[in-house]
Amino acid sequence: MGAATQAAPPANAFRWGADREGGGPYIYPDPNEPSRVIGFEVDLANALGRQMGREAQLVFCGWDQILLQLDRRDIDLALNGYEYTAQRARHYAASVPYYKFELGLCVRKGSPIDSWATLRQPAAGGSRPRIGVLKASSADRYVTSEFGVSCEVVRFEGVVETFKLVESGQLDASVQDLPPLVFYLDRLKRYPRLQIVDRPAQPGYYVLYARSTDEALIEATNGALRKLYDDGTLRRIYEKYGLWNAAQEGLPQVWQHWPPEDTAPEAGVLAQIRAELPLFFRAAGMTVKLAFLSMPLAVAIGLAIALIRAWPSPVLGGTGAPPRVAGQLLRAVATLYVEIVRGTPLVFQLFVVYFVLPEAGVNRLLAYFGLTSIDAFWSGVLALAVNYSAYEAEIMRLGIQSIPVGQMEAALSLGMTRALAVRRIILPQAIRTVIPATANDFIALYKDTAVCSVIAVEELSMQYSVAAKSTGLFLQMAIVASVLYLAMSWPLSLLAAWLERRLNGNKLQ
Amino acid sequence: MLTVTNLVKRRGGREVLKGVSLRVERGTVGVLIGPSGCGKSTLVRCANGLEMFEEGEVAVGDARLTAGNGNGREQQLRTLRRSVGTVFQQFNLFAHRTMLENVIEAPIYVLNKPRKEAIRQAETLLARVGLTERLDAFPHQLSGGQQQRVAIARALAMQPEVILFDEPTSSLDPKMTAEVLGVMADLAKSGQTMLVVTHAMSFARRVATNVHVLVDGLIVESGPPEQVFDSPTHAATRELLTASTFG
Repeated sequence: MGAATQAAPPANAFRWGADREGGGPYIYPDPNEPSRVIGFEVDLANALGRQMGREAQLVFCGWDQILLQLDRRDIDLALNGYEYTAQRARHYAASVPYYKFELGLCVRKGSPIDSWATLRQPAAGGSRPRIGVLKASSADRYVTSEFGVSCEVVRFEGVVETFKLVESGQLDASVQDLPPLVFYLDRLKRYPRLQIVDRPAQPGYYVLYARSTDEALIEATNGALRKLYDDGTLRRIYEKYGLWNAAQEGLPQVWQHWPPEDTAPEAGVLAQIRAELPLFFRAAGMTVKLAFLSMPLAVAIGLAIALIRAWPSPVLGGTGAPPRVAGQLLRAVATLYVEIVRGTPLVFQLFVVYFVLPEAGVNRLLAYFGLTSIDAFWSGVLALAVNYSAYEAEIMRLGIQSIPVGQMEAALSLGMTRALAVRRIILPQAIRTVIPATANDFIALYKDTAVCSVIAVEELSMQYSVAAKSTGLFLQMAIVASVLYLAMSWPLSLLAAWLERRLNGNKLQ
Repeated sequence: MLTVTNLVKRRGGREVLKGVSLRVERGTVGVLIGPSGCGKSTLVRCANGLEMFEEGEVAVGDARLTAGNGNGREQQLRTLRRSVGTVFQQFNLFAHRTMLENVIEAPIYVLNKPRKEAIRQAETLLARVGLTERLDAFPHQLSGGQQQRVAIARALAMQPEVILFDEPTSSLDPKMTAEVLGVMADLAKSGQTMLVVTHAMSFARRVATNVHVLVDGLIVESGPPEQVFDSPTHAATRELLTASTFG
């Protein structure tokens, strides 16, 4: 029986999972009809279905989550550039390879990096080259183990992001499976400033995965793959996307000795968790740094905005006289800032800071001041600060306006200037009233740091996702990450509650 | 000393003050009485620059405040407020500062007095208004009468030439009213120039040098208390005196 929320598949259909944002040439929106997807894996799945006499139903998944969807029985086959690993094969039934790939090294034209070997040499400036990879992919494992000492590995959810960032100079290289490299650089010519250098390295195999109980489905798939190879269908599909090469010619030889011997028996669950713990702690440190750097910045920006917006009000000594044009303009800008920032999602703001600002000339501006381009970490700090500053501005504005006007009048009557009265009399009281609300926001920001994983900041949720995917221990790693989040946010909650009690018990008026 | 000349204040197209003139000589006490809503508080707030006025002028010693919101207003206000202190109906003590801190705040940050000296002076002033204990108490821990006495000490700490009292006892019960009026009477005796807006007629009779009656935005009668209270010449004054209980 299918779940009530989803239609049960026809008896002879199989559901295969893939990420529609996975990108070319695997699966991508048809440029002529964006609601449809095309790609060599779409063609392959349909060919397999025809061969097996079953209907291939595509179910969209997040690329990271495809194997989880298998466990959830939302899909029957994972088919989306998932390479064979012994670790995965222990938990899932794996097919024979349908494609043999290698890793390519992609850099800006004219880059000092012109071979794998240069990645091992210390860079001229002493800084480590930044290499973009797909999170938890074979490129991630290869670069981390081979060049992790001399290079900084920056992990992304998608391939295309890394190309953009190599072009803009925020990354020094991108290491990817050859199919997308060939597709975007050679076929689409979308990144004319990039090139592939040196020979491809580290071969790997794309396979289909099914639940370990679904051996029969994998057997049928293997049989169908052999027939597609023999009757030339596989070759036609791959040639259509420019993917056919000598390595694919040799697939049948690979199949004869498949699967490879599993040489490293799996470590126990506890041992795997223990091995990940230091990485979790380091990631937690990154989360703390993000939160503790961005919140003060958010409060400072928010305070400035609140003062600009509330300046004409009597509690700040405004006379109610019509403000000057410059003042009105400044206030309009501040209001617009608050509305725009509050009205758009944090993740977009993060993308703007990280991907758009560098291309909008900010890098040149920074270079003028002798600074390098703004990296992922500082982009995260800035985006979080900007996002929360809008909320802090509103909280602060209400806090200011909750102070009785008489406080300002008394201060002015004592000969204080407006600025002095704001600084010594109004703000100290306003800040006291907003401390509980701000403390609550801090806890919220603290958890929102997780968003920075999309621009490859190695914070706690990123570490969770990498650890979960590389070990398959999704639940266990989620518990570790949650405990760490809680261990840090709980004290903050207690602090907020204590502050609130203290301020209530010590009523100002 | 304090001179208000032909002061006109309009609010929403209506004239609240219609050309008010009054003088308070050095070392004397002017008391301003009048029915509710006649513009007494507005006059005080114009005199210390908390509200703008459309015509006329306020002068305290050499400091002058002219009508309108011209460019020189900030400078005028800075000078004027050095010579004018204000005591409010709602006390307006700084809620986040202790009794002592309320008094030393302006001397330190406006007059740049050394902290030690400011504290010494504040302790003397607080003693003068009858407060010698719990100087580290916060305003919300004090009674209304205590708060108002701190507010008077706070005004005195700036050594103003004139102190404006804007209905200083209207929020207080009779006992606290008495203690605050007592302090004000002592101040008057010591020669402090004061302009007092009040409904406390017996205080006016006892302490005032001159009483000014403000009705509908105009001073209708001015003179020594015995003259104004015993032989009022204006119908509105008679009405006002009949209505009040001389409490």
